[in-house]
Amino acid sequence: MRIGEIIESTSVLFVSESLELRQSPALGSLLRVRISDDGDLYGVVCYGETRSLDPGRRAVRRSTSEVYDDQVYRENPQLEHILRTEFTCLAVGVLEAGGILQGLPAQPPPLHFSVHTCSPEETARFTEDLYYFRLLLSASLPVPAEQLLANHVRRVYGERGGDDNWLRRAAQEVGHLLKQDYDRLMAVLYGIDQGSSPRAGGVSTK
Amino acid sequence: MMRERLGLVTDGAYNTGLTVRLDAQCSTEDLRVGELVVVEGQSHRYFGMISDMQLRVTDPRLLASPPHDAPPLVTEALAGTGTYATLEVKPMLMLDLSVEPDEQRGPQRVRTIPMHFSALYRASEMDFATVFGKEGGTNFAIGTPVPMEIPICLRLDRFVERSNGIFGQSGTGKSFLARILLSGIIKTRAAANLIFDMHSEYAFDKQTEDGDWVKGLRELFGSQILVYSLDADAAARRNVDVTLTVGLNQVEAEDVMLLADELDLTATTAATSGLLVDQYGKDWLRQILGMSADNIAGFCQSSGAHPEATRALQRKLKEVQRRGYLKDEVPFSLIDEMVTALGRGRSIILEFGRHDTPLDYMLVANIVTRRIRRLYQQKVERFEETKAEADRPLQLVITLEEAHKFLSPAVARQTIFGTIAREMRKYNVTLMVVDQRPSGIDPEVMSQLGTRVTGLLAEERDIDAVFMGMSGRSFLRGALAGLDTRQQVLLMGHAVPMPVVVQTRRYDEDFYRVMQGTGARRDGLEVTSADIWAR
Repeated sequence: MRIGEIIESTSVLFVSESLELRQSPALGSLLRVRISDDGDLYGVVCYGETRSLDPGRRAVRRSTSEVYDDQVYRENPQLEHILRTEFTCLAVGVLEAGGILQGLPAQPPPLHFSVHTCSPEETARFTEDLYYFRLLLSASLPVPAEQLLANHVRRVYGERGGDDNWLRRAAQEVGHLLKQDYDRLMAVLYGIDQGSSPRAGGVSTK
Repeated sequence: MMRERLGLVTDGAYNTGLTVRLDAQCSTEDLRVGELVVVEGQSHRYFGMISDMQLRVTDPRLLASPPHDAPPLVTEALAGTGTYATLEVKPMLMLDLSVEPDEQRGPQRVRTIPMHFSALYRASEMDFATVFGKEGGTNFAIGTPVPMEIPICLRLDRFVERSNGIFGQSGTGKSFLARILLSGIIKTRAAANLIFDMHSEYAFDKQTEDGDWVKGLRELFGSQILVYSLDADAAARRNVDVTLTVGLNQVEAEDVMLLADELDLTATTAATSGLLVDQYGKDWLRQILGMSADNIAGFCQSSGAHPEATRALQRKLKEVQRRGYLKDEVPFSLIDEMVTALGRGRSIILEFGRHDTPLDYMLVANIVTRRIRRLYQQKVERFEETKAEADRPLQLVITLEEAHKFLSPAVARQTIFGTIAREMRKYNVTLMVVDQRPSGIDPEVMSQLGTRVTGLLAEERDIDAVFMGMSGRSFLRGALAGLDTRQQVLLMGHAVPMPVVVQTRRYDEDFYRVMQGTGARRDGLEVTSADIWAR
């Protein structure tokens, strides 16, 4: 499903504007950009924001005691035109000639190209190999990398239909990557576990 | 050939052994110190034993705040990454894989170590067969490696050519092990045996600690075994071949010195008995026992001996004289007949019956062995003259219980047993010492023992003693400490290619059948040398 258009593109990060106001994809979800007839570029959503079109102008309060939340938008239809929702993705790999290459892309994705959500099959295919975890942990991002990785793993686990083997593999990969930094490791692991362990009412890993 | 991979070599030194990082899915609890493992190098296959295990963490902060009540996902992710285990492996043997299987000479001593990231495997049955060989000939199965059901073989031909030791604290199954080894030696005809059976337990049926009855060697091997007894009464009751008597004329001064502890003799005794021998020769003991007070005074005057010391010696020797098996004059023919039987390959068990005090045991064993060794020396000298194969004396193994009494540092230099242990196989006579206190044995003797079979030992001094003169004792220590209290032993030395922990064979109906040759021999692995040595 097409959800946005690229409005800023670098080798590492690309920023897209959402087609719908306030419809930002979830943090940590995997997105896809069709860059050629048989080539896709994949990115992980690492940041999202909704703000005024004019960078110099801050939004002002519009709610009253009767009109608030969603009603504000219904009462002020012009908001659709003066606000916009943007999200930032970290490029994590490309699909070329049928093969997946995890890592930074050779070129940044073309500006104004469309950003799509991934189907569960596409997600499963790209996340089979876990090399790209390194990119998530090492990039300098506006959000803590551990939180991003934990969110990402939880989402992919859901997309993959509760694949316990994959979850265990992912946790071990994180353990391997952060073996020298116990505190960061625990931040990721407990983050993953919240959404998937029996303690949090999620799916058991056993 | 499928083997279970355990980890990768990450560090090491030729002198101290290899460090292996254990794979994440392997638990230290599934491994044992002392276990045989295999490292596949590029051109060699190394056989070694696990000498130590360690738990490690990559980040020391983990030690300060270990995860409490961590969910399984977290502990699983930590296992093998943030937390891991290493093994210390001591390579002992190596097999050159570049040599054609047909020309393969089997595993050799290690002279190098494998490079980084060589894989470590748990030994397969084929590996055990490669190292310890197949059952058959003088390759005698003594037990199985602890986790597996394949025979570990001892090379009995090598075993008997040097003196050996069986050690272990009380209750570890020393006497059963000795029985199994003796059966093997008799069955494979690797040597003739002379067994000094202090507690009369080898020849006939005996009840075990568990209340079962087990067969004696006489029952197992029939006329191949001759039973001698010192005790005329017991001999009449039991099916004994010969009642042995010893003559005062056969007792030498050295025998008396051996009994110094038992008879509470003083240091002057050696001088006094020496003077007696000077004066009376072989008849010295009878002479002193028959002396009156006046005779003693006369003897002291003429020889310069101390009268008090001489009287004390006489008093104490009277105790020896009261022994039922001692006669005034006995020819050596009885012992000489023993040697003839041993020369024909028969084995002899000498029972002590009711004469089972250390004094009897030491006195008789020393006299008999001295005579036998002299005859063997003559045989060997004759063989060296004639060089005829028919004159080659058959190897003789003397089994000695409570060996520390004969081989303690104080007496080992004087007793015939000390001499035999030290001169090794020169005269084709070797010892199999059975003892629970190896620390009581002269270190010089201990270091000469070729093969050592040891059960669990508790005392630090005994553990030190049993590794005397062995290389790599620090590696073996862990293996020894990990033995079960019963039926597990550490084999090391001349008759095995490398040290190994085995669960000893059971001395039961199956064993009797194999020994008596009525049952089917246990089938060894059907392997050819090509299978064994191919990669």
